[in-house]
Amino acid sequence: MSRAKLAVLAAITVVTAAHVGSPDTYFEGAAGPYPVRVIVRSPGVVPGQAEIIVRLLAPIRITRVLVLPVFWDPRTAAPPPPERARPVPGDSTLFRGTLWLMRSGAYGVEVTLEGDRGSGVVLVPVQAVATRRRSLPMPLGLLLAALGVLLIAGAVTLVGAAARESALAPGQSPDRRGRQKGRAAMAVSVLVFWLALAGGRAWWRAVDRAYLSGLYRPRAVRTTVTAVRGTRVLRVAFVDSATDARAWSPLVPDHDHLVHLFLVRDSSLAAFAHLHPLPVDSTTFETRLPPLGPGHYRLYGDVVHETGFSETLTGTFDLEGPQTSWQPTDSDDAWLSTSTPDTATRALLPDGSTLIWERARPLVVNEDAALRFMLLGPDQRPATLEPYMGMAGHLMLTRTDGAVFVHLHPAGTISVGALETFLHRERGDTVTGTLARRLAAEPPGHPMPAFGPELVFPYAFPQPGRYRLWVEVKRAGKILTGVFDATVAPGSP
Amino acid sequence: MIWDISWHRSIGRDTFWTPAHLAIYTGGVLAGCACGGLALRTTFAETPAARDASVSFWGFRAPLGAWFCIWGALAMLTSAPLDNWWHNAYGLDVKVLSPPHTLLAAGLWAIQLGTLLLVLAELHRAKDSRARLVCGLAIALVAGIVIENGAILGIEQVGFANDAHNALYYEFAAGCFPMVLVAAGRCGGLRWSATAAAAAYMLISLVMIWALQPFPATPGLAPVFNPLTHMVPAPFPLLLVVPAVAIDVLLRHFGSGREWRLALACGVAFFVTFLAVQWYAAELLLSPWARSSYLLGVDHWDYSSRLGPWRYEFWGRVTQPFTLASAALAAAIAVVSARVGLWWGSWMARVRR
Repeated sequence: MSRAKLAVLAAITVVTAAHVGSPDTYFEGAAGPYPVRVIVRSPGVVPGQAEIIVRLLAPIRITRVLVLPVFWDPRTAAPPPPERARPVPGDSTLFRGTLWLMRSGAYGVEVTLEGDRGSGVVLVPVQAVATRRRSLPMPLGLLLAALGVLLIAGAVTLVGAAARESALAPGQSPDRRGRQKGRAAMAVSVLVFWLALAGGRAWWRAVDRAYLSGLYRPRAVRTTVTAVRGTRVLRVAFVDSATDARAWSPLVPDHDHLVHLFLVRDSSLAAFAHLHPLPVDSTTFETRLPPLGPGHYRLYGDVVHETGFSETLTGTFDLEGPQTSWQPTDSDDAWLSTSTPDTATRALLPDGSTLIWERARPLVVNEDAALRFMLLGPDQRPATLEPYMGMAGHLMLTRTDGAVFVHLHPAGTISVGALETFLHRERGDTVTGTLARRLAAEPPGHPMPAFGPELVFPYAFPQPGRYRLWVEVKRAGKILTGVFDATVAPGSP
Repeated sequence: MIWDISWHRSIGRDTFWTPAHLAIYTGGVLAGCACGGLALRTTFAETPAARDASVSFWGFRAPLGAWFCIWGALAMLTSAPLDNWWHNAYGLDVKVLSPPHTLLAAGLWAIQLGTLLLVLAELHRAKDSRARLVCGLAIALVAGIVIENGAILGIEQVGFANDAHNALYYEFAAGCFPMVLVAAGRCGGLRWSATAAAAAYMLISLVMIWALQPFPATPGLAPVFNPLTHMVPAPFPLLLVVPAVAIDVLLRHFGSGREWRLALACGVAFFVTFLAVQWYAAELLLSPWARSSYLLGVDHWDYSSRLGPWRYEFWGRVTQPFTLASAALAAAIAVVSARVGLWWGSWMARVRR
């Protein structure tokens, strides 16, 4: 790996992306010597224009910020010239730009900052998928309807004038027969225009139906739970047919795991597990289940494809009967069974330590949520965070109805697995599986140093409502999970 | 329009305010404003003779062609916000043939038809042969632009020589072009009006092919699979001159009356000559001989194209095979199109205002 690639990787201390109902990308890290936060607002449509917001997190003079979309395909020729992100008036640390994402799939947004400390670059992986159809705003709809009425009335009048007068010699007035002909032509034209409008409406609806049927939706997985010698085993199959299997591109590890599986007990949210199943084959994975209580469970599976496309697969399953023992499938597996949080801002952890959510202001849709946490040891002093799968902490949050599920890290929502596919890809990687094999053969990274007691997750909630948050940290070799509840208010329209 | 499509294929869209977009909408606004001014002048400040050579519209008076131009400009302006919303709702120009683009094309056609009617009214009032010749040539030019508009809207169906061995290619062409050629032939005022219109279309296309290629261009949107250095020209035009000659000959031979028989002859003649010419011309355009020719301007592909052998292959031969049944359908469509063209041309031949 080149030194530049290593530098970019070293700047990122987080992993994976898990997003349901949360299309925007949040990143916090270093672009060379510049600490930055980058937000990529998804256009929700492809081809579409994404908004890129770059905030400098230190008082350093910046002369220019450039943004450039890099498509995942190794056959891509030289990238187009970068776009310039313009400074936002009144705020010397904030820059805003736009980028066209022309094809569905994985992109890396390359952000370059130039200033007093030279040039710094960071790559932010984003997914370009169509997720919504923007509705027609009422004022525009009314304007178009008014113009439509004017156009139709004008066209009918034109037909009448053409039939009545156009063939008359100058100065000659239309006689009774001419006037009748004009009226007849107008009547026929009303029918023709009505048919044209009906045809246009049917065409529009057909386009709309085709578009809506092609929107990206989280792939539903097939789940089965079996009991093996008293232990329940969850099997997850990602593809359902041979056609599906052909379209499935190989997975690449995201911090040493091909799949990050999250289980949430439905409606009550009283149980949570973060597991790392092992492959049975390239599209089927298995894991031993922790002693979760009986009930209906939601399943979210984070995967990263060889193309750099990261997605969250969804499913459900039911558990019956009790289970007392558990031998984790992977040492990073963790679970928790709690019906309600301790308080709104403090979570007492099993080893006696406390996780504190430093809430500065109310949570509002699409506003910086400032998800800041502090770990205190049993002695109530700031404690050291150990790396848990290479990072200081994980935060999973879900809206109570399951419409939103997000897996966050201190670097935001981005997937390091996806980033690695961009950094390791070579021009010859045109055969499916080549890059995935190379990434799987990569030696594990160096052990990471411990982190300070503070955790900050850059994020803004996409929808209003009640949420539950699970914050995972590691201390003294134990994985600890703090639980919090929050209510997010609607933003200004 | 040709410049705009080339811009999209070579550079990609940056904003609504690209020079090519501005040229399209400025053209529409200019036509609308000029004709709006003409309507105000004719209504309020013109001589009785000028008012006598106009038609009434909601209490105002202007030549019929001016009203078409005003309507076309309004349709074009209406399509702009609709198209912008369409891009945000369904993606940027996923299909060329979309409802807002069709409204834009309707506006363009209305302006072209309006221009045609203005010139026709002049032609039919002209006293000397020189004025009639000038008007005839102007009509051929505008009819050529109408044909160009149809070819542009159907670029996905008839734009590329690679499509010339599938059924849709001939069905689309049969629906679109006989109508305009027959109408131009009937009302054009020249001995070879349809041929002149087809030649004007070819000339416009070729001039644009030759004019665009030398201009440097750098793709502005990712992914770039085809690193272009210059503007991509439009595909080589359809050889409509040959069917147009046949249509001119038939129009002269049959004269007026017996319209359905004439439509049958024109439609079948169009289909047969178009098929014979395009089938083999397409093979020539896809051959190695044509590829490096600046004059032909072939083998130029979008910045987003992954170049491969498909460039020199015929497309749609499996999904839309050209069969005897599809040939019969295309011929029938051409007959109906020619009949519409006769009706349209006959009306235009009578326009005096």
